[in-house]
Amino acid sequence: MKFTYSMLLDYVSTKLTAAEVGDLLTMAGFELEGYEEVNGEPVLDIKVPSNRGDGLSVFGLAREVLAKDSQSCPTDLYHKAVNRFAMPDDGDDGETGCLTSVKIDTTDCSRYACRLFRGINDAETPEWIRHRLETASQRSISLLVDLTNYVMLELGQPLHAFDLDKLDGQRIVVRKARKGEKLTTLNDDVHDLNTQQMMICDASRPVAAAGIMGGLDTEVTGSTQNVLLESAHFLNTSIRRTRKQMGLNTEASYRFERSVDPEGVVAALNRFAQLLAEVVGDESRVQGVVDIYPGKVTCKPVQVRMSRVVRLMGMPVTTEDARGYLERLGMKVTGDGEPFTVVPPSWRPDIVREDDLVEEVGRVHGYDLIPECMPQGSTPQGGALGIYKRVDILRDAALSCGLSQVISHSLRDFHPLDKPNTKRIGPRNPGSPEMAWLRCSLLPCLADAAIRNGGKDLHLFEEGKVFAVEDGPVERKNLALLSTGALAPSHWVKGEVPEADFYSLKGAVETILASIGVKPEFAIGDDPRLHPTRQAAIWAGKKQIGILGQIHPDVAEKVSLPMVTILAEFDVAKVIAASPEKLKYRQVSRNPATRRDIAVLVAKTVSYQTIEQTIAKAGGEVLEKQWLFDVYEGKGIPEGSHSLAIALQLRKMGSNFTDEEANLVRDRVVSALAELGATLR
Amino acid sequence: MQTVEELEQQALADVESALSTTELRDLEIRYLGKQGLFTGLLRQIGQLPPEEKPKFGQKVNDAKARLQDAINAKQEGLKSGERAGQYERERIDVTMPARPWRVGKEHVLQMTTNKIKDVMGGLGFEYFESPEMELFDYNFGALNYPPDHPSMDDQDTFYIDDKYLLRTQCTAMQGRIFEKRQPPLRIFTVGRTFRNEAVDRTHGHTFHQIDCFIVDEGVSMAHLKGTLGLFARAMFGADVKVRFRPDFFPFVEPGVDFAISCPFCGGKGCPVCKNSGWIELGGAGLVHPNILERYGIDTDRYSGFAFGLGIERIPMMAYNVDDLRHFLENDLRFLEQFRA
Repeated sequence: MKFTYSMLLDYVSTKLTAAEVGDLLTMAGFELEGYEEVNGEPVLDIKVPSNRGDGLSVFGLAREVLAKDSQSCPTDLYHKAVNRFAMPDDGDDGETGCLTSVKIDTTDCSRYACRLFRGINDAETPEWIRHRLETASQRSISLLVDLTNYVMLELGQPLHAFDLDKLDGQRIVVRKARKGEKLTTLNDDVHDLNTQQMMICDASRPVAAAGIMGGLDTEVTGSTQNVLLESAHFLNTSIRRTRKQMGLNTEASYRFERSVDPEGVVAALNRFAQLLAEVVGDESRVQGVVDIYPGKVTCKPVQVRMSRVVRLMGMPVTTEDARGYLERLGMKVTGDGEPFTVVPPSWRPDIVREDDLVEEVGRVHGYDLIPECMPQGSTPQGGALGIYKRVDILRDAALSCGLSQVISHSLRDFHPLDKPNTKRIGPRNPGSPEMAWLRCSLLPCLADAAIRNGGKDLHLFEEGKVFAVEDGPVERKNLALLSTGALAPSHWVKGEVPEADFYSLKGAVETILASIGVKPEFAIGDDPRLHPTRQAAIWAGKKQIGILGQIHPDVAEKVSLPMVTILAEFDVAKVIAASPEKLKYRQVSRNPATRRDIAVLVAKTVSYQTIEQTIAKAGGEVLEKQWLFDVYEGKGIPEGSHSLAIALQLRKMGSNFTDEEANLVRDRVVSALAELGATLR
Repeated sequence: MQTVEELEQQALADVESALSTTELRDLEIRYLGKQGLFTGLLRQIGQLPPEEKPKFGQKVNDAKARLQDAINAKQEGLKSGERAGQYERERIDVTMPARPWRVGKEHVLQMTTNKIKDVMGGLGFEYFESPEMELFDYNFGALNYPPDHPSMDDQDTFYIDDKYLLRTQCTAMQGRIFEKRQPPLRIFTVGRTFRNEAVDRTHGHTFHQIDCFIVDEGVSMAHLKGTLGLFARAMFGADVKVRFRPDFFPFVEPGVDFAISCPFCGGKGCPVCKNSGWIELGGAGLVHPNILERYGIDTDRYSGFAFGLGIERIPMMAYNVDDLRHFLENDLRFLEQFRA
């Protein structure tokens, strides 16, 4: 809320400077968002919290200054405002009741009051009011409009002036719009109305959108002689719905959406009348106020315990101080003991329970006085435990494999690497087409990151959520890897730098999974995003936990990634589910190991996994380790076969292997392999 | 036949004039080896009268010992000379470029998250995660939002359907914890949040938050201030002070906006803090009693505090990063600059 500082000084007599008042309001919860000097006069821009509609007025902020600073004093005008600018004709319809009538036909309007003025002619806005409005960047329009704006700024109550002679039947009906009705608002927009929308109507038609904006047909102009001035109170949810539907957002609707004091309705009419009288004389005012008030609210008393105030704030506050703060905020405090009773004022609908008052006392006393203490009491084990710890371990393992971490947007567009056969999900109100869908795989993100960084010699991973619709919307945590190009940075020392391939990333996959004890198996895969004959489905236990493979050549072309780009992706929950809970220690032998190498000629159709398992079975317990150290095909090898050189490491517990024993194991392995059609070379 | 003295003289002269350790090794074998000249000399012992035998043997052995000493001394000298030559031949230019190791770099937001986990974990807060695609009720209803609160608007929140939305705050985790656990509770999360916002240097539709809460007997605003003070000093430096300003969030009462004294100017005022001396970081307060009651927690016995803030702010302030958008763009030239 932006206002000229001199308006505040009308209400508060203070030694503080404008900047100091700004700081004080900030520490009361009304943040000073802007401070400028216009024509040598300070202008404050205050951010008012959404639950404090009473702060959207100079009078309301003056109340906060007086509550916070006991050195500042209220002025005469402040006292008048407290007394609602009382006028002798307040409680009576008088002549006004003869000239017009108000009918409320909807529960969305809790109060509607009006005053009439006649013989306005085309008087001008007094210079001091125009100056104050313009200094606070409000355009001066005409006397009547300027006064409604000025009073709203002062008291927070939106007002609207109708040209009485343009109102059919010279009367007001507050009701919901009827089907087919239209309203042209002051800004010249034509609105087709629906039956949810509350309108101010005359005898025949809508003339204003209640609490939002007046209608063009009945607006006051230079030729207006007779005026009906509206001051009303509306249900905030009704105003919000209608102004959203109409696409309007005004100073009036902004205040009604938050809160306006229902007891201040007539006060605003009176303040307007008093300001107008200063310009055109009091004889223009028609005697009496029409005031229809079906929705009078009662303020429920709240009990406060000082012990709770002190305990929750964590700082000492005396009962006397606390009661003083609450009284200065306009609360009625009764009872001497513990608890005492507080009746909140009509402009504070946010005060409904004890802790709301704990906040009021603490806020006025000053949060700067709260000391810093560490929490006492029971301290459970902290940090990342269980599955969260395992996710940390997986991530660290990926880093230790030399993969760099990227973190990408979840909201994105389609991509050729999206998970196939997946029902996608996205916000029904996307910000833009580029962010219309939630990712269903992390591979598109990694591809984008790879492209962004030049598309070659990259080794990346990402951990994050993916989304899809299955029985309902589902969200999973995935871990994905991308590797392409040189496995080490190039250098000048002799020797080629190895390039990433299926087997290098397979090594990373095994290392990462091994970090939490998962031993994967690799079966032939059928993911359409990957090269048809260079991909694997990764299994652990009885479940598929992920995929690994070279990018499909068509996809590589489409997204401009190298043909040899290797991808992998896991479902982290499934990986963790395959992770053994317990690890068991195995005793190590102190005896030396013996090595036997074999080279076998075998058809390529026999998978290495079969060979490996056959060797393991034939070798038995003494086969500590086996590894493939050479693969040869070409000259001297029949078409469709290859020669595999495999090392066998043998070791026993408690005694050494003799040559004869080692040879026996080797022979056992060789004859087992012979059953697969493998022959010794 | 040479005498012992003659042989020793000749051997010492040869050793003296040896030019390399290889030559010296040859001399050692020639004179002192099993088949060496001194061994040959000893064979004369048979021709000597018995009373001279021990004396002769002693003489030969003494000469051998002296020769061995001379060889050892010469060896030292020759070796250090030869090493010096070797060193010169093997000289490298240490300023030549390194052979780089490939290492995986952690993302700067991950580093920030890890640091937060260390600090909060050390204070006994347990780490949890909850869904990014959250039920409306956990994001708003369970957090004491009045129906029709403005932040529920389509303009502010991404909705999947009437039930699900993309969480606008990590505070959405609270209800999920309260459903399963009873106080005392010390919980925190770090996660991704979404707002339907126009993107610029300081606003994104996707960002990350830490959210933390405690419920125990006697928890007060002073404990909140102490915890936030410790957290802020761990993140932003030892001299940082915490300031509370009243603010409104539906899920806390009292509610505050917390700021830290500007770590750049020490609170004197500078462009980073827009001359205010303070930098606002996030929202905090005591857990609203309506929420505790909703989960059957006795508000006379228990109270709690909660706080949350955007974690991008932490590296932005620590490293003077001026554009929020860098964090999710994954330009390695940006990411490789940071360290834990």
